[in-house]
Amino acid sequence: MNATSRLLGGAALISLVTTVVLGLGLPPTVEQGQYVKFIAIHPPLAWAAYLSFGVTAVASILYLVPRTRHRRWDHIAGASAEVGVVFTALTLVTGSIWGRPTWGVWWVWDARLTLTALMLFLFLGYLALRRVAGDPDTRARRSAVAAILAVLVVPIDHFAVQWWRTLHQGQSLTMTPQKNLDGNYIAVMLLGFLAMTLVYAWLTLQRYWVEELEDEVGDQGLQNALAERRAEAGAGAGVR
Amino acid sequence: MRYVGAGYGISLVVIAGYAVRVVTRARSLRRGSR
Repeated sequence: MNATSRLLGGAALISLVTTVVLGLGLPPTVEQGQYVKFIAIHPPLAWAAYLSFGVTAVASILYLVPRTRHRRWDHIAGASAEVGVVFTALTLVTGSIWGRPTWGVWWVWDARLTLTALMLFLFLGYLALRRVAGDPDTRARRSAVAAILAVLVVPIDHFAVQWWRTLHQGQSLTMTPQKNLDGNYIAVMLLGFLAMTLVYAWLTLQRYWVEELEDEVGDQGLQNALAERRAEAGAGAGVR
Repeated sequence: MRYVGAGYGISLVVIAGYAVRVVTRARSLRRGSR
């Protein structure tokens, strides 16, 4: 497992550094000037957020199906959602910084922006729900249902730029060299997609291990507490 | 270039900070469970 983690981490780091170097090296365009450089990180961050919540939903479904039910799916769902929240927050921050010089405002209640913010708060709520005390199985089932409901905002957010008139540009992947973007920009953006996917996979793997270890430590703590109680009860009976 | 630098900088710092936090937590749990 450690070899996989190292390989994945190395690939993520190399692709991320390459994306940053090539992204910052992109030439300015007539329309966007220097700000076109955001294309290497902003759409890939949004993609990683969608991917995270998609994985959370799939893992939640697998947990709810009795035939595939396993604690592992609940851990994957939780780990992926937390990483997704980080990516969504960064999507909003980089989008806002990109919006300021190009649109003239930091924020606008546009369909895409509002839905992305809603997505962030829904999954923050999901993470809070996971922390509510209770029986682990009940908690996991409750969280799984919440994740499946929350993930419905992802396709709506993605298609918001088609369904409503928005200030936000159209879907980045539909911008072809023939239409409105040179091939070099698209190539760097696609590299960014790969880099963020690898970064997501590595972070989720690390976070998943934390979930597994926390569970293990929790079980051990419970076993120790039970053993102590049994020992106390035994000593009490001996005194009487 | 100020905005571009801020966007890239914040993204990298947050990702790196989160990665350090998660890896540190995993290490401390591994030590604790031994």
